[in-house]
Amino acid sequence: MAVDAATSRPPATELLGARRAGEATLSRVAKSLFFGAALFYLCVPMVAVLIYSFSTRWTANVLPDGYTLEWWQQTLSNPRIQSAFSTSVMLATLTAIIDIAVVVPAAYWSRVRNPHIRPVVELAAAIPFALPYIVIAFGLMQFSGIAAPQYQGTFALLVAGHAAIAFPFVYWAVDGAMAAAGIERLSETAEACGASPFQIVRRIVIPNISPGLVTGGLLSFAASFGEFAMAQIIGRSLDTVPLWSAEMIRSYSDTAGSYNRLAVVTLLTFLLLFALSAVVVYWNRGQTVRLLPGAGAARTGDGR
Amino acid sequence: MSGVSLVGVSKSYGSVKALDHVSIDVCPGELLALLGPSGCGKTTLLRCVAGLERPDKGNVEIGQRDMTLVPTRDRPIGMVFQSYALFPNLTVRKNISFPLEVRRRPRKEIDERVDELLDLVRLSEQAERYPKQISGGQAQRCALGRALAANPEVLLLDEPLSALDALVRGRLRDEIRRIQQRVGITAIYVTHDQSEAMAIADRVAVMNHGRVEQIARPDEIYDMPATQFAATFVGSRNAVELDVRNGRVAIPGAFDIPAPEGTGSRAIAFFRPEDVRVSGPATSNGREAVGMPARVELKVFLGSTTRLHLVGQNGAGPISLYSDLPSHSAREIDEGALVHVEIDPALVQAFPL
Ligand SMILES: Nc1ncnc2c1ncn2[C@@H]1O[C@H](COP(=O)(O)OP(=O)(O)OP(=O)(O)O)[C@@H](O)[C@H]1O
Ligand SMILES: [Mg+2]
Repeated sequence: MAVDAATSRPPATELLGARRAGEATLSRVAKSLFFGAALFYLCVPMVAVLIYSFSTRWTANVLPDGYTLEWWQQTLSNPRIQSAFSTSVMLATLTAIIDIAVVVPAAYWSRVRNPHIRPVVELAAAIPFALPYIVIAFGLMQFSGIAAPQYQGTFALLVAGHAAIAFPFVYWAVDGAMAAAGIERLSETAEACGASPFQIVRRIVIPNISPGLVTGGLLSFAASFGEFAMAQIIGRSLDTVPLWSAEMIRSYSDTAGSYNRLAVVTLLTFLLLFALSAVVVYWNRGQTVRLLPGAGAARTGDGR
Repeated sequence: MSGVSLVGVSKSYGSVKALDHVSIDVCPGELLALLGPSGCGKTTLLRCVAGLERPDKGNVEIGQRDMTLVPTRDRPIGMVFQSYALFPNLTVRKNISFPLEVRRRPRKEIDERVDELLDLVRLSEQAERYPKQISGGQAQRCALGRALAANPEVLLLDEPLSALDALVRGRLRDEIRRIQQRVGITAIYVTHDQSEAMAIADRVAVMNHGRVEQIARPDEIYDMPATQFAATFVGSRNAVELDVRNGRVAIPGAFDIPAPEGTGSRAIAFFRPEDVRVSGPATSNGREAVGMPARVELKVFLGSTTRLHLVGQNGAGPISLYSDLPSHSAREIDEGALVHVEIDPALVQAFPL
């Protein structure tokens, strides 16, 4: 079971899948068939995990031998799991906050004030996708070893690393929302009204890109929450959910119920991210979220 | 009240000269219309006054103060854009109060001023609506109210009516004029619609290729365009290319005027359709008809006037021209009839080709 992939990706995939299906011009039947298949494909692993988390033993048969609440009780009261969860939530929250705080002014600046730096910013926002996280993590560790050895293995360094790899999610979501809102024009208008750059960002930019902010925040939260490679290299002394999960997998001891506890943790993670996604969908209801760069660019060519 | 002066302003985008040594003085309290075809640099000029573009050369002054390097937000301007640039996250009231809030005026003053402005632009009833919930005309009135909120010295309008339908456009144009005069604010109004410019402006600046071709009162521009471009762009005119003979430009029988300075062998003559005098169908009673003989090719009834498409014969070849007559005097003239055409030489303008 690939814990980090299974927990962090489904919410985003589901959002996109639903929208794709809505746009398709297939007949109703074909549409519902397609949608049903997609739903089945997405749900089966979660259902299996759900059943596993309640089962006493599940090896030879189609269904488990028996059911129990023991794993849930054990997991929820286990101090180590509790602390892994709170570390991961802190980590992901800080990552999302830092990324939003860095990206919004940067994206605004590159869009409105200095379009020349856009290629640089966009390249920077593509690098974390192009390089394996493990390479970035190694680089970061080497670098911190030279520059600031006292931070090695600390929570702070891991936050910094996660902020670096998760910021493209925020960037593309925010940039797309800015394009959709026509931020250049609104910004010029606000400037002609006498607003300072700070006032423009706070009163005009942020309220008009909130769908992108919420989406980007969720994506970076999820990316950080499920991230394993970097956490393992940089934060070995720490206990995050993916690190704990990996340990459970490695210490093959099914009889002790570690796989069942793993299933519980996986489900908890899923529920957490699913709840956050639901908040995002609710927040963005009725608005198209543009995650793709350049979406909505057709609206920026007015007036000239 | 303060005026606006542009002194030798130039601005290029790469190889495109958007503004080429433009000098304009807008008098205090005046509404100047910038008129010109698409791409001639009207928006660029306005953006230079607003500080949204920095000129490559030249100075921008508002009320005798040099503003060339002053950032937009510190300039005493209010701006209305072509498409509704209202803040979608703010209500009509909040949009109008925005310039006051960013200036941190006291709450009470803001509320009073906004009520006053809502009244001025007749949006009191829509005050709590969001931009999505009001019509295009209302949106532009809101934008106007917002532009005036902080008592700017200069009002800049960039084709504020171009996104509206014809009926609303006419009404709102007159309303903008009324408000501008009531407030007594200096205004620059960009448009590519000559009738809009004529109707609203104290003076019109005709622009072409980044240059100002003529600045004058609307009636002066209409009667006496200073350049060939102004003549073609303002009003509908007959434009006839003619040979220059003995230093004179003439359609034999119709008019005969001295050639303009610097003319080579060809010139172009402009005259208005309503200045073309048509004397009824040549009669066979022996009375000598005056003017150039011409045949009526087409007769178009336009309501109060009727337009005749005429083809004149002056020996050198056929000459096409239009004539606008009051409909009642065009009644006797049928298509295909032969008429005689004359134009008062004082109303003909010729330019070198
Ligand atoms: N940001 C820019 N980058 C490059 N070229 C520009 C830019 N802004 C304007 N131009 C060019 O400068 C010239 C003048 O443009 P401007 O927008 O001032 O024209 P305009 O008179 O307002 O036209 P319109 O009536 O279509 O609005 C045009 O040739 C235009 O292509
Ligand atoms: Mg323009």
